[in-house]
Amino acid sequence: MEEKKARLKPQAEIEVIPEGPIRIKGNIILSDVRRDIFESPEGEIYLCRCGRSKNKPYCDGSHEK
Amino acid sequence: MESSIKSGRGRKYTNGEITVYWKPESCIHASYCYRELIEVFDPSRRPWVDMYGATTAEIIRTVNMCPTDALTWKWNDEEKNRDVDPSHTNHVNFRRPELLKDETEAQSEPVSVRVMPQGPLIISGTFTLKYDNKIKEVEESAVSLCRCGASSRMPFCDGNHRKSDFKDD
Ligand code: FES
Ligand code: FES
Repeated sequence: MEEKKARLKPQAEIEVIPEGPIRIKGNIILSDVRRDIFESPEGEIYLCRCGRSKNKPYCDGSHEK
Repeated sequence: MESSIKSGRGRKYTNGEITVYWKPESCIHASYCYRELIEVFDPSRRPWVDMYGATTAEIIRTVNMCPTDALTWKWNDEEKNRDVDPSHTNHVNFRRPELLKDETEAQSEPVSVRVMPQGPLIISGTFTLKYDNKIKEVEESAVSLCRCGASSRMPFCDGNHRKSDFKDD
């Protein structure tokens, strides 16, 4: 067995956009039992954090209204 | 299993001795992996592969049962990958030779991003979090981010989603 390195390499970048959604990019698994999502998205995704999107868990721009 | 597994890059998991590769878009849900070795392959856990849940021999035996190239494996010691018995059907030599050159990193566990019903987003693993002009390095830990818009500790969840009438639909 290998020893765990003291510092691990970050696998993803999460950014909380001011007045906007959460941007996520990197090696992730997104899961949402309610909507039957279990996937490793390519590229970046934007998740709603205002509570108003009509396309949850994703942001649909409703935060601007 | 009901979950849909969509395309993505392959994932890899190691216990220091072997590396197991997961290619989600190839999975046909034959379910040998979790029926044989739930200690290692547990679709309801995040991350779903725990390479320390069983011995290397048991993991190899189970991965060889996968009928597609969704699960493959190789020795971390490259010497051992030269001459592999064809009974090891899911060794990368036979299924995904392009992975032979792949150098094993010490850790590449994907970050788990879980959408909690009527609740926050729970992000766990090793990642960087940017908020309020700050950058926080999170190492093998978790944060809980508000999805309802009603937290008074933004961007983090403070439990207010229970009081606000957050409709998670
Ligand atoms: S953050 Fe964009 S719709 Fe909620
Ligand atoms: S999701 Fe918990 S306070 Fe908003």
